[in-house]
Amino acid sequence: MEAFWIILVGSLIAVSCALLGSYLILRKMAMVGDAISHAVLPGIVIAYLLSGSRETLPMLIGAAALGVLTTVIIELFHKKSNLQMDASIGITFTWLFAIGIILISLFAGQVDLDQDCVLYGEIAYVPLDLWITDSGYNMGPRTVWIASGLLLLLLLFIWKGYRGLFITTFNEEFAKALGIGVAFWHYALMGAVSLTTVISFESVGAILVVALLIVPPATAYLITTDLKKMLLLSSIFGILSAIGGYYLAVLINGSIAGAIASVAGLLFLSVWVTGLVKNRAFKLN
Amino acid sequence: MKTKLIYSLFILALLSCKVEDKQASTSIKTIVCTTGMLGDAVEHIVGPNVEVITLMGPGVDPHLYKATQGDLKSLTNADVIVYNGLHLEGKMGEIFEKLEKQKHIIVAAEGLTEEEYINNTEFQGAQDPHIWFDVALWSKAVQHIGTELAQLSSDSLAITFKTNTKSYTAQLLQLNTSVQQEVNKLDSSKRILITAHDAFGYFGRAYNFKVRGLQGISTTSEYGLKDVSDLVNYIVHNEIKAVFVESSVSEKSLQAVVEGCLQKGHQVKIGGQLYSDAMGDAETVEGTYIGMVQHNVKTIVEGLQ
Repeated sequence: MEAFWIILVGSLIAVSCALLGSYLILRKMAMVGDAISHAVLPGIVIAYLLSGSRETLPMLIGAAALGVLTTVIIELFHKKSNLQMDASIGITFTWLFAIGIILISLFAGQVDLDQDCVLYGEIAYVPLDLWITDSGYNMGPRTVWIASGLLLLLLLFIWKGYRGLFITTFNEEFAKALGIGVAFWHYALMGAVSLTTVISFESVGAILVVALLIVPPATAYLITTDLKKMLLLSSIFGILSAIGGYYLAVLINGSIAGAIASVAGLLFLSVWVTGLVKNRAFKLN
Repeated sequence: MKTKLIYSLFILALLSCKVEDKQASTSIKTIVCTTGMLGDAVEHIVGPNVEVITLMGPGVDPHLYKATQGDLKSLTNADVIVYNGLHLEGKMGEIFEKLEKQKHIIVAAEGLTEEEYINNTEFQGAQDPHIWFDVALWSKAVQHIGTELAQLSSDSLAITFKTNTKSYTAQLLQLNTSVQQEVNKLDSSKRILITAHDAFGYFGRAYNFKVRGLQGISTTSEYGLKDVSDLVNYIVHNEIKAVFVESSVSEKSLQAVVEGCLQKGHQVKIGGQLYSDAMGDAETVEGTYIGMVQHNVKTIVEGLQ
Protein backbone atom coordinates (compact mmCIF):
# COMPACT_ATOMS: atom_id res chain seq x y z
CA MET A 1 0.00 0.00 0.00
CA GLU A 2 2.87 2.38 0.80
CA ALA A 3 4.38 1.77 -2.61
CA PHE A 4 1.04 2.55 -4.22
CA TRP A 5 0.56 5.84 -2.37
CA ILE A 6 4.08 7.04 -3.04
CA ILE A 7 3.94 6.17 -6.73
CA LEU A 8 0.48 7.73 -7.00
CA VAL A 9 1.53 11.01 -5.43
CA GLY A 10 4.77 10.96 -7.39
CA SER A 11 2.86 10.44 -10.64
CA LEU A 12 0.23 13.09 -9.90
CA ILE A 13 2.89 15.67 -9.13
CA ALA A 14 4.97 14.50 -12.09
CA VAL A 15 2.06 15.05 -14.50
CA SER A 16 1.27 18.49 -13.07
CA CYS A 17 4.91 19.49 -13.39
CA ALA A 18 5.26 17.96 -16.85
CA LEU A 19 2.28 19.91 -18.22
CA LEU A 20 3.47 23.26 -16.89
CA GLY A 21 7.11 22.45 -17.58
CA SER A 22 6.36 21.91 -21.27
CA TYR A 23 5.13 25.48 -21.56
CA LEU A 24 8.03 26.79 -19.48
CA ILE A 25 10.62 25.10 -21.69
CA LEU A 26 8.99 26.43 -24.85
CA ARG A 27 8.98 29.91 -23.32
CA LYS A 28 12.65 29.54 -22.30
CA MET A 29 11.74 29.87 -18.62
CA ALA A 30 12.67 26.39 -17.42
CA MET A 31 14.53 27.61 -14.34
CA VAL A 32 11.53 29.41 -12.89
CA GLY A 33 10.78 26.42 -10.65
CA ASP A 34 14.26 26.51 -9.16
CA ALA A 35 14.01 30.28 -8.78
CA ILE A 36 10.74 29.97 -6.86
CA SER A 37 12.22 27.32 -4.56
CA HIS A 38 14.75 29.90 -3.36
CA ALA A 39 12.66 33.03 -3.61
CA VAL A 40 9.98 31.81 -1.16
CA LEU A 41 12.35 32.30 1.80
CA PRO A 42 11.33 35.90 2.65
CA GLY A 43 7.68 34.83 2.39
CA ILE A 44 8.30 32.14 4.98
CA VAL A 45 10.09 34.51 7.33
CA ILE A 46 7.42 37.19 7.04
CA ALA A 47 4.66 34.62 7.54
CA TYR A 48 6.48 33.41 10.64
CA LEU A 49 7.00 36.91 12.02
CA LEU A 50 3.30 37.70 11.52
CA SER A 51 1.82 34.43 12.73
CA GLY A 52 4.51 33.42 15.24
CA SER A 53 4.16 29.76 14.32
CA ARG A 54 5.87 27.33 12.02
CA GLU A 55 2.67 25.49 11.10
CA THR A 56 2.28 24.47 7.49
CA LEU A 57 -0.63 26.73 6.54
CA PRO A 58 0.92 30.17 7.24
CA MET A 59 4.17 28.99 5.68
CA LEU A 60 2.29 27.89 2.58
CA ILE A 61 0.46 31.20 2.26
CA GLY A 62 3.67 33.21 2.66
CA ALA A 63 5.50 31.01 0.18
CA ALA A 64 2.71 31.15 -2.41
CA ALA A 65 2.53 34.95 -2.17
CA LEU A 66 6.27 35.22 -2.78
CA GLY A 67 6.05 32.68 -5.60
CA VAL A 68 3.59 34.89 -7.47
CA LEU A 69 5.64 38.00 -6.67
CA THR A 70 8.76 36.28 -8.05
CA THR A 71 7.15 35.64 -11.42
CA VAL A 72 5.80 39.21 -11.54
CA ILE A 73 9.24 40.70 -10.85
CA ILE A 74 10.90 38.39 -13.39
CA GLU A 75 8.45 39.52 -16.05
CA LEU A 76 8.86 43.16 -15.07
CA PHE A 77 12.66 43.07 -15.43
CA HIS A 78 12.38 41.11 -18.66
CA LYS A 79 9.83 43.37 -20.32
CA LYS A 80 10.64 46.82 -18.97
CA SER A 81 14.41 46.68 -19.07
CA ASN A 82 14.83 44.44 -22.08
CA LEU A 83 16.85 41.96 -20.06
CA GLN A 84 17.13 38.34 -21.22
CA MET A 85 14.80 35.95 -19.42
CA ASP A 86 17.58 33.90 -17.79
CA ALA A 87 19.31 36.99 -16.43
CA SER A 88 16.02 38.31 -15.15
CA ILE A 89 15.29 35.02 -13.37
CA GLY A 90 18.79 35.02 -11.89
CA ILE A 91 18.53 38.54 -10.53
CA THR A 92 15.09 38.05 -9.05
CA PHE A 93 15.60 34.86 -7.10
CA THR A 94 19.05 35.62 -5.72
CA TRP A 95 17.81 39.01 -4.60
CA LEU A 96 14.71 37.63 -2.90
CA PHE A 97 16.67 34.80 -1.30
CA ALA A 98 19.19 37.31 0.02
CA ILE A 99 16.39 39.39 1.52
CA GLY A 100 15.15 36.25 3.24
CA ILE A 101 18.59 35.53 4.71
CA ILE A 102 18.87 39.10 6.00
CA LEU A 103 15.39 38.92 7.52
CA ILE A 104 16.36 35.71 9.33
CA SER A 105 19.57 37.12 10.73
CA LEU A 106 17.79 40.31 11.80
CA PHE A 107 14.66 38.91 13.39
CA ALA A 108 14.83 35.18 13.73
CA GLY A 109 18.47 34.14 14.17
CA GLN A 110 17.57 31.94 17.12
CA VAL A 111 14.78 30.10 15.35
CA ASP A 112 15.25 27.12 13.11
CA LEU A 113 13.60 28.67 10.10
CA ASP A 114 14.35 27.76 6.51
CA GLN A 115 12.57 26.08 3.64
CA ASP A 116 14.05 22.68 4.43
CA CYS A 117 12.79 22.80 7.95
CA VAL A 118 9.33 24.34 7.65
CA LEU A 119 8.13 24.04 4.06
CA TYR A 120 9.70 21.27 2.03
CA GLY A 121 7.95 17.96 2.47
CA GLU A 122 9.43 14.57 1.78
CA ILE A 123 7.81 12.07 -0.53
CA ALA A 124 8.78 9.25 1.82
CA TYR A 125 6.34 10.60 4.44
CA VAL A 126 3.34 10.52 2.09
CA PRO A 127 1.89 7.26 3.43
CA LEU A 128 2.31 8.46 7.03
CA ASP A 129 0.62 11.80 6.58
CA LEU A 130 -2.99 10.64 6.59
CA TRP A 131 -6.09 12.77 6.43
CA ILE A 132 -8.33 11.59 9.21
CA THR A 133 -11.69 13.31 9.54
CA ASP A 134 -13.03 14.44 12.86
CA SER A 135 -15.44 11.53 12.90
CA GLY A 136 -12.47 9.18 12.62
CA TYR A 137 -12.54 8.15 8.98
CA ASN A 138 -9.22 7.52 7.33
CA MET A 139 -9.38 9.20 3.94
CA GLY A 140 -5.93 8.08 2.80
CA PRO A 141 -2.84 10.27 2.56
CA ARG A 142 -3.49 14.01 2.70
CA THR A 143 -1.09 14.71 -0.16
CA VAL A 144 -2.97 12.39 -2.53
CA TRP A 145 -5.99 14.68 -2.23
CA ILE A 146 -3.93 17.83 -2.60
CA ALA A 147 -2.03 16.50 -5.60
CA SER A 148 -5.15 15.24 -7.38
CA GLY A 149 -7.00 18.50 -6.74
CA LEU A 150 -4.05 20.42 -8.11
CA LEU A 151 -3.85 18.26 -11.23
CA LEU A 152 -7.60 18.60 -11.87
CA LEU A 153 -7.33 22.40 -11.68
CA LEU A 154 -4.37 22.39 -14.03
CA LEU A 155 -6.09 20.13 -16.55
CA LEU A 156 -9.10 22.43 -16.49
CA PHE A 157 -6.84 25.44 -16.97
CA ILE A 158 -4.96 23.94 -19.92
CA TRP A 159 -8.13 22.53 -21.47
CA LYS A 160 -9.98 25.85 -21.33
CA GLY A 161 -6.94 27.97 -22.11
CA TYR A 162 -5.25 25.76 -24.65
CA ARG A 163 -5.62 28.16 -27.58
CA GLY A 164 -4.49 31.25 -25.71
CA LEU A 165 -1.51 29.48 -24.14
CA PHE A 166 -0.58 27.94 -27.48
CA ILE A 167 -0.54 31.18 -29.49
CA THR A 168 1.14 33.32 -26.84
CA THR A 169 3.81 30.65 -26.33
CA PHE A 170 4.77 30.28 -29.98
CA ASN A 171 4.14 33.65 -31.54
CA GLU A 172 3.65 36.64 -29.30
CA GLU A 173 3.43 39.16 -32.14
CA PHE A 174 0.80 37.14 -33.94
CA ALA A 175 -1.16 36.82 -30.71
CA LYS A 176 -1.04 40.58 -30.22
CA ALA A 177 -2.24 41.10 -33.78
CA LEU A 178 -5.17 38.79 -33.06
CA GLY A 179 -5.99 40.83 -29.99
CA ILE A 180 -5.22 38.03 -27.53
CA GLY A 181 -4.11 39.28 -24.12
CA VAL A 182 -0.46 38.21 -24.03
CA ALA A 183 0.08 39.55 -20.53
CA PHE A 184 -3.06 37.84 -19.28
CA TRP A 185 -1.98 34.40 -20.46
CA HIS A 186 1.53 34.96 -19.22
CA TYR A 187 0.40 35.82 -15.71
CA ALA A 188 -2.22 33.08 -15.70
CA LEU A 189 0.48 30.54 -16.53
CA MET A 190 2.91 32.02 -14.01
CA GLY A 191 0.24 32.03 -11.32
CA ALA A 192 -0.37 28.36 -12.05
CA VAL A 193 3.38 27.67 -11.91
CA SER A 194 3.91 29.37 -8.56
CA LEU A 195 0.89 27.71 -7.00
CA THR A 196 1.86 24.29 -8.33
CA THR A 197 5.49 24.52 -7.30
CA VAL A 198 4.78 25.78 -3.78
CA ILE A 199 2.10 23.18 -3.13
CA SER A 200 4.30 20.46 -4.59
CA PHE A 201 7.26 21.59 -2.48
CA GLU A 202 5.11 21.07 0.57
CA SER A 203 4.02 17.61 -0.58
CA VAL A 204 7.18 16.05 -1.98
CA GLY A 205 10.17 18.38 -1.51
CA ALA A 206 11.95 20.90 -3.70
CA ILE A 207 14.58 19.08 -5.76
CA LEU A 208 12.03 16.60 -7.02
CA VAL A 209 9.69 19.37 -8.19
CA VAL A 210 12.45 21.33 -9.92
CA ALA A 211 13.62 18.16 -11.67
CA LEU A 212 10.13 17.06 -12.73
CA LEU A 213 9.37 20.52 -14.05
CA ILE A 214 12.30 20.43 -16.48
CA VAL A 215 13.55 16.93 -17.24
CA PRO A 216 10.44 15.07 -18.52
CA PRO A 217 9.35 17.98 -20.79
CA ALA A 218 12.91 18.32 -22.07
CA THR A 219 12.91 14.59 -22.86
CA ALA A 220 9.63 14.94 -24.75
CA TYR A 221 11.01 18.00 -26.54
CA LEU A 222 13.75 15.81 -28.03
CA ILE A 223 11.34 13.58 -29.91
CA THR A 224 8.34 15.68 -30.86
CA THR A 225 7.48 19.05 -32.34
CA ASP A 226 3.76 18.83 -31.63
CA LEU A 227 2.62 20.58 -28.42
CA LYS A 228 -0.17 18.09 -27.69
CA LYS A 229 2.19 15.17 -28.12
CA MET A 230 4.76 16.95 -25.99
CA LEU A 231 2.28 17.39 -23.14
CA LEU A 232 1.30 13.73 -23.35
CA LEU A 233 4.84 12.38 -23.71
CA SER A 234 6.25 14.50 -20.90
CA SER A 235 3.46 13.28 -18.62
CA ILE A 236 4.33 9.69 -19.53
CA PHE A 237 8.03 10.30 -18.88
CA GLY A 238 7.10 11.88 -15.55
CA ILE A 239 5.02 8.87 -14.51
CA LEU A 240 7.75 6.45 -15.66
CA SER A 241 10.27 8.39 -13.54
CA ALA A 242 8.01 8.14 -10.48
CA ILE A 243 7.53 4.39 -10.86
CA GLY A 244 11.13 3.63 -11.80
CA GLY A 245 12.45 5.97 -9.12
CA TYR A 246 10.44 4.35 -6.36
CA TYR A 247 11.75 0.89 -7.17
CA LEU A 248 15.29 2.20 -7.55
CA ALA A 249 14.96 3.67 -4.05
CA VAL A 250 13.75 0.31 -2.72
CA LEU A 251 16.69 -1.40 -4.40
CA ILE A 252 19.37 0.86 -2.97
CA ASN A 253 17.49 1.86 0.22
CA GLY A 254 18.03 5.51 -0.60
CA SER A 255 16.14 8.76 -0.85
CA ILE A 256 13.00 8.34 -2.96
CA ALA A 257 13.04 11.90 -4.30
CA GLY A 258 16.67 11.53 -5.31
CA ALA A 259 15.96 8.25 -7.08
CA ILE A 260 12.99 9.66 -9.01
CA ALA A 261 15.02 12.64 -10.19
CA SER A 262 17.88 10.31 -11.19
CA VAL A 263 15.57 8.08 -13.22
CA ALA A 264 14.15 11.16 -14.97
CA GLY A 265 17.71 12.13 -15.89
CA LEU A 266 18.50 8.61 -17.11
CA LEU A 267 15.36 8.63 -19.28
CA PHE A 268 16.50 11.89 -20.83
CA LEU A 269 19.94 10.47 -21.46
CA SER A 270 18.69 7.28 -23.09
CA VAL A 271 16.23 9.16 -25.31
CA TRP A 272 18.99 11.54 -26.34
CA VAL A 273 21.46 8.73 -27.09
CA THR A 274 18.91 6.71 -29.10
CA GLY A 275 18.11 9.87 -31.02
CA LEU A 276 21.79 10.37 -31.80
CA VAL A 277 22.20 6.75 -32.91
CA LYS A 278 19.10 6.99 -35.11
CA ASN A 279 20.27 10.19 -36.77
CA ARG A 280 23.65 8.66 -37.40
CA ALA A 281 22.11 5.60 -39.01
CA PHE A 282 19.90 7.85 -41.08
CA LYS A 283 22.86 9.85 -42.36
CA LEU A 284 24.91 6.74 -43.17
CA ASN A 285 22.12 5.45 -45.33
CA MET B 1 -8.12 11.65 -18.81
CA LYS B 2 -10.66 13.55 -16.76
CA THR B 3 -13.02 10.64 -16.35
CA LYS B 4 -10.10 8.51 -15.27
CA LEU B 5 -9.24 11.03 -12.62
CA ILE B 6 -12.77 11.16 -11.35
CA TYR B 7 -12.73 7.37 -11.23
CA SER B 8 -9.57 7.34 -9.23
CA LEU B 9 -11.03 9.87 -6.82
CA PHE B 10 -13.95 7.50 -6.31
CA ILE B 11 -11.57 4.66 -5.69
CA LEU B 12 -9.75 6.81 -3.15
CA ALA B 13 -13.00 7.51 -1.37
CA LEU B 14 -13.79 3.80 -1.30
CA LEU B 15 -10.36 2.99 0.09
CA SER B 16 -10.96 5.24 3.02
CA CYS B 17 -12.03 3.40 6.10
CA LYS B 18 -12.71 3.92 9.76
CA VAL B 19 -9.55 4.29 11.77
CA GLU B 20 -9.27 1.63 14.41
CA ASP B 21 -8.57 2.92 17.85
CA LYS B 22 -5.02 2.25 18.81
CA GLN B 23 -5.05 -0.31 21.56
CA ALA B 24 -2.71 -0.65 24.45
CA SER B 25 -0.38 -3.03 22.69
CA THR B 26 0.39 -5.88 25.00
CA SER B 27 3.61 -6.62 23.19
CA ILE B 28 5.92 -3.90 22.01
CA LYS B 29 8.23 -5.45 19.44
CA THR B 30 9.88 -2.57 17.64
CA ILE B 31 10.50 1.00 18.73
CA VAL B 32 11.79 3.64 16.32
CA CYS B 33 13.77 6.58 17.71
CA THR B 34 14.97 9.60 15.78
CA THR B 35 18.28 10.62 17.40
CA GLY B 36 21.06 8.46 18.77
CA MET B 37 20.59 9.89 22.27
CA LEU B 38 16.97 8.71 22.30
CA GLY B 39 17.91 5.33 20.84
CA ASP B 40 20.47 4.82 23.60
CA ALA B 41 18.00 5.78 26.32
CA VAL B 42 15.25 3.53 24.95
CA GLU B 43 17.63 0.59 24.60
CA HIS B 44 18.47 0.95 28.27
CA ILE B 45 14.79 1.09 29.20
CA VAL B 46 13.47 -1.84 27.18
CA GLY B 47 16.41 -4.19 27.41
CA PRO B 48 17.53 -6.70 24.75
CA ASN B 49 14.15 -8.27 23.93
CA VAL B 50 12.72 -5.31 22.03
CA GLU B 51 14.13 -4.12 18.74
CA VAL B 52 15.18 -0.47 18.85
CA ILE B 53 15.81 1.28 15.54
CA THR B 54 17.59 4.64 15.42
CA LEU B 55 16.99 6.64 12.26
CA MET B 56 19.79 9.18 12.51
CA GLY B 57 23.17 7.55 12.67
CA PRO B 58 26.48 8.91 13.99
CA GLY B 59 27.46 12.33 12.64
CA VAL B 60 24.05 13.07 11.15
CA ASP B 61 22.66 16.58 11.52
CA PRO B 62 19.00 16.16 12.57
CA HIS B 63 18.09 19.55 11.10
CA LEU B 64 19.01 18.30 7.63
CA TYR B 65 18.00 14.68 7.89
CA LYS B 66 16.29 13.10 4.87
CA ALA B 67 14.40 9.86 5.26
CA THR B 68 15.09 6.86 3.04
CA GLN B 69 12.71 4.23 1.77
CA GLY B 70 13.92 1.88 4.50
CA ASP B 71 13.18 4.47 7.19
CA LEU B 72 9.62 4.66 5.97
CA LYS B 73 9.30 0.92 6.39
CA SER B 74 10.69 1.09 9.92
CA LEU B 75 8.27 3.88 10.80
CA THR B 76 5.19 2.09 9.50
CA ASN B 77 6.16 -1.16 11.19
CA ALA B 78 7.04 0.47 14.50
CA ASP B 79 4.83 -0.15 17.52
CA VAL B 80 6.08 3.00 19.20
CA ILE B 81 7.88 6.05 17.84
CA VAL B 82 10.04 8.18 20.14
CA TYR B 83 11.19 11.60 19.03
CA ASN B 84 12.81 14.63 20.62
CA GLY B 85 10.33 17.36 19.72
CA LEU B 86 10.69 21.15 19.97
CA HIS B 87 11.19 21.22 16.19
CA LEU B 88 14.52 19.36 16.31
CA GLU B 89 13.27 17.01 13.61
CA GLY B 90 11.81 19.81 11.48
CA LYS B 91 9.04 18.73 9.10
CA MET B 92 9.36 15.13 10.32
CA GLY B 93 8.13 16.20 13.75
CA GLU B 94 4.97 17.61 12.20
CA ILE B 95 4.30 14.25 10.55
CA PHE B 96 4.72 12.52 13.92
CA GLU B 97 2.25 14.90 15.52
CA LYS B 98 -0.33 13.81 12.99
CA LEU B 99 0.59 10.15 13.34
CA GLU B 100 -0.47 10.32 16.96
CA LYS B 101 -3.98 9.33 15.92
CA GLN B 102 -2.79 5.93 14.72
CA LYS B 103 0.41 5.13 16.54
CA HIS B 104 1.89 5.40 19.99
CA ILE B 105 4.13 8.43 19.89
CA ILE B 106 6.34 9.59 22.74
CA VAL B 107 7.85 13.07 22.74
CA ALA B 108 10.96 13.24 24.93
CA ALA B 109 10.69 17.00 25.44
CA GLU B 110 7.26 16.56 27.06
CA GLY B 111 9.01 15.21 30.14
CA LEU B 112 10.10 18.77 30.88
CA THR B 113 7.98 21.62 32.09
CA GLU B 114 7.45 24.81 30.12
CA GLU B 115 9.76 26.76 32.47
CA GLU B 116 12.62 24.36 31.92
CA TYR B 117 12.81 25.09 28.20
CA ILE B 118 15.23 27.70 26.99
CA ASN B 119 13.76 30.23 24.62
CA ASN B 120 16.11 32.95 23.44
CA THR B 121 13.53 34.65 21.26
CA GLU B 122 10.39 36.61 21.86
CA PHE B 123 8.44 34.03 19.86
CA GLN B 124 6.39 31.41 21.55
CA GLY B 125 7.12 27.88 20.44
CA ALA B 126 10.67 28.68 19.40
CA GLN B 127 12.41 26.81 22.20
CA ASP B 128 15.93 25.47 21.96
CA PRO B 129 15.54 21.73 21.23
CA HIS B 130 18.97 20.55 22.45
CA ILE B 131 17.71 19.41 25.84
CA TRP B 132 20.08 16.46 26.25
CA PHE B 133 23.08 18.60 27.27
CA ASP B 134 21.66 19.23 30.71
CA VAL B 135 22.06 15.74 32.16
CA ALA B 136 19.57 16.34 34.96
CA LEU B 137 16.92 17.49 32.48
CA TRP B 138 17.70 14.60 30.17
CA SER B 139 17.10 12.17 33.01
CA LYS B 140 13.65 13.72 33.40
CA ALA B 141 13.03 13.21 29.70
CA VAL B 142 14.19 9.60 30.02
CA GLN B 143 11.91 9.14 33.01
CA HIS B 144 9.02 10.42 30.90
CA ILE B 145 9.82 7.97 28.08
CA GLY B 146 10.08 5.12 30.59
CA THR B 147 6.73 5.92 32.21
CA GLU B 148 4.98 6.21 28.85
CA LEU B 149 6.47 2.94 27.60
CA ALA B 150 5.45 1.17 30.80
CA GLN B 151 1.88 2.42 30.39
CA LEU B 152 1.73 1.01 26.88
CA SER B 153 2.81 -2.49 27.76
CA SER B 154 1.52 -5.49 29.66
CA ASP B 155 2.14 -5.83 33.37
CA SER B 156 5.22 -8.05 33.31
CA LEU B 157 6.97 -5.91 30.70
CA ALA B 158 5.92 -2.72 32.46
CA ILE B 159 7.70 -3.81 35.61
CA THR B 160 10.91 -4.50 33.67
CA PHE B 161 10.65 -1.14 31.96
CA LYS B 162 10.13 0.62 35.26
CA THR B 163 13.11 -1.00 36.96
CA ASN B 164 15.32 -0.39 33.94
CA THR B 165 14.25 3.24 33.80
CA LYS B 166 14.99 3.60 37.47
CA SER B 167 18.50 2.22 37.19
CA TYR B 168 19.29 4.22 34.04
CA THR B 169 18.06 7.52 35.47
CA ALA B 170 20.11 6.75 38.59
CA GLN B 171 23.15 6.36 36.33
CA LEU B 172 22.30 9.66 34.69
CA LEU B 173 22.02 11.48 38.00
CA GLN B 174 25.38 10.02 38.98
CA LEU B 175 26.76 11.28 35.68
CA ASN B 176 25.31 14.69 36.46
CA THR B 177 27.21 14.85 39.75
CA SER B 178 30.46 13.76 38.12
CA VAL B 179 29.99 16.40 35.40
CA GLN B 180 29.50 18.99 38.13
CA GLN B 181 32.71 17.84 39.82
CA GLU B 182 34.69 17.93 36.58
CA VAL B 183 33.41 21.36 35.69
CA ASN B 184 34.25 22.69 39.15
CA LYS B 185 37.93 22.22 38.26
CA LEU B 186 37.50 25.32 36.12
CA ASP B 187 37.40 28.81 37.59
CA SER B 188 34.06 30.41 36.91
CA SER B 189 35.85 33.11 34.91
CA LYS B 190 37.18 30.43 32.58
CA ARG B 191 33.79 28.91 31.94
CA ILE B 192 33.15 30.28 28.48
CA LEU B 193 32.23 27.75 25.84
CA ILE B 194 32.51 28.75 22.19
CA THR B 195 31.22 26.39 19.51
CA ALA B 196 30.19 26.47 15.88
CA HIS B 197 26.45 26.41 16.40
CA ASP B 198 24.25 27.20 19.37
CA ALA B 199 23.63 23.68 20.65
CA PHE B 200 24.99 24.09 24.16
CA GLY B 201 22.48 26.46 25.72
CA TYR B 202 21.21 23.83 28.17
CA PHE B 203 24.75 22.77 29.04
CA GLY B 204 25.66 26.37 29.79
CA ARG B 205 22.67 26.95 32.02
CA ALA B 206 23.11 23.73 33.98
CA TYR B 207 26.85 23.96 34.58
CA ASN B 208 27.25 27.70 34.73
CA PHE B 209 29.01 28.33 31.43
CA LYS B 210 28.68 31.36 29.22
CA VAL B 211 27.90 29.94 25.81
CA ARG B 212 28.56 31.61 22.51
CA GLY B 213 28.01 30.12 19.07
CA LEU B 214 28.94 31.37 15.67
CA GLN B 215 25.74 30.18 14.05
CA GLY B 216 22.22 30.32 15.37
CA ILE B 217 20.26 27.31 16.52
CA SER B 218 19.72 26.07 13.01
CA THR B 219 22.76 24.70 11.22
CA THR B 220 21.47 26.07 7.93
CA SER B 221 21.36 29.75 8.81
CA GLU B 222 24.47 31.58 7.70
CA TYR B 223 26.87 33.46 9.93
CA GLY B 224 27.87 36.96 8.99
CA LEU B 225 31.20 38.77 8.95
CA LYS B 226 30.08 40.74 11.94
CA ASP B 227 29.39 37.51 13.83
CA VAL B 228 32.98 36.45 13.19
CA SER B 229 34.55 39.76 14.19
CA ASP B 230 32.32 40.07 17.28
CA LEU B 231 33.34 36.61 18.35
CA VAL B 232 37.04 37.35 17.73
CA ASN B 233 36.85 40.48 19.88
CA TYR B 234 35.04 38.56 22.58
CA ILE B 235 37.68 35.81 22.62
CA VAL B 236 40.59 38.26 22.72
CA HIS B 237 38.97 40.37 25.41
CA ASN B 238 38.20 37.41 27.66
CA GLU B 239 41.49 35.65 26.91
CA ILE B 240 39.75 32.42 26.05
CA LYS B 241 42.10 29.53 25.43
CA ALA B 242 40.08 27.23 23.23
CA VAL B 243 37.09 27.01 20.93
CA PHE B 244 35.38 23.75 20.00
CA VAL B 245 34.21 22.09 16.82
CA GLU B 246 31.22 19.78 16.58
CA SER B 247 30.89 16.36 15.05
CA SER B 248 27.93 17.25 12.86
CA VAL B 249 28.96 20.74 11.74
CA SER B 250 31.88 21.65 9.48
CA GLU B 251 34.86 23.13 11.35
CA LYS B 252 35.67 25.55 8.53
CA SER B 253 33.66 28.34 10.11
CA LEU B 254 35.59 28.25 13.37
CA GLN B 255 38.91 28.26 11.53
CA ALA B 256 38.12 31.82 10.46
CA VAL B 257 37.68 32.79 14.11
CA VAL B 258 40.97 31.17 15.14
CA GLU B 259 42.83 33.03 12.39
CA GLY B 260 41.12 36.29 13.30
CA CYS B 261 42.33 35.92 16.89
CA LEU B 262 45.84 35.13 15.71
CA GLN B 263 45.96 38.37 13.75
CA LYS B 264 45.10 40.23 16.92
CA GLY B 265 47.94 38.46 18.68
CA HIS B 266 45.87 36.07 20.74
CA GLN B 267 46.56 32.35 20.54
CA VAL B 268 43.35 30.36 20.65
CA LYS B 269 43.37 26.66 19.87
CA ILE B 270 40.67 24.38 18.63
CA GLY B 271 40.10 22.42 21.82
CA GLY B 272 38.77 19.31 20.16
CA GLN B 273 35.62 17.86 18.76
CA LEU B 274 32.41 17.88 20.76
CA TYR B 275 29.46 15.67 20.02
CA SER B 276 26.41 17.89 19.72
CA ASP B 277 23.51 16.80 17.54
CA ALA B 278 24.77 13.28 16.98
CA MET B 279 26.76 10.79 19.01
CA GLY B 280 29.96 8.95 18.07
CA ASP B 281 30.21 5.67 16.15
CA ALA B 282 28.14 2.83 17.53
CA GLU B 283 31.00 0.61 18.67
CA THR B 284 32.94 3.33 20.52
CA VAL B 285 32.47 4.74 24.01
CA GLU B 286 31.27 8.02 22.52
CA GLY B 287 28.52 6.04 20.80
CA THR B 288 26.56 6.01 24.06
CA TYR B 289 24.95 9.01 25.69
CA ILE B 290 26.99 8.70 28.88
CA GLY B 291 30.24 8.24 26.96
CA MET B 292 29.41 11.22 24.79
CA VAL B 293 28.76 13.51 27.74
CA GLN B 294 31.95 12.38 29.47
CA HIS B 295 33.94 12.98 26.30
CA ASN B 296 32.46 16.44 25.88
CA VAL B 297 33.08 17.48 29.46
CA LYS B 298 36.65 16.10 29.44
CA THR B 299 37.42 17.91 26.17
CA ILE B 300 35.94 21.17 27.42
CA VAL B 301 37.69 21.11 30.79
CA GLU B 302 41.07 20.14 29.30
CA GLY B 303 40.78 22.73 26.57
CA LEU B 304 39.91 25.63 28.84
CA GLN B 305 42.23 24.87 31.77
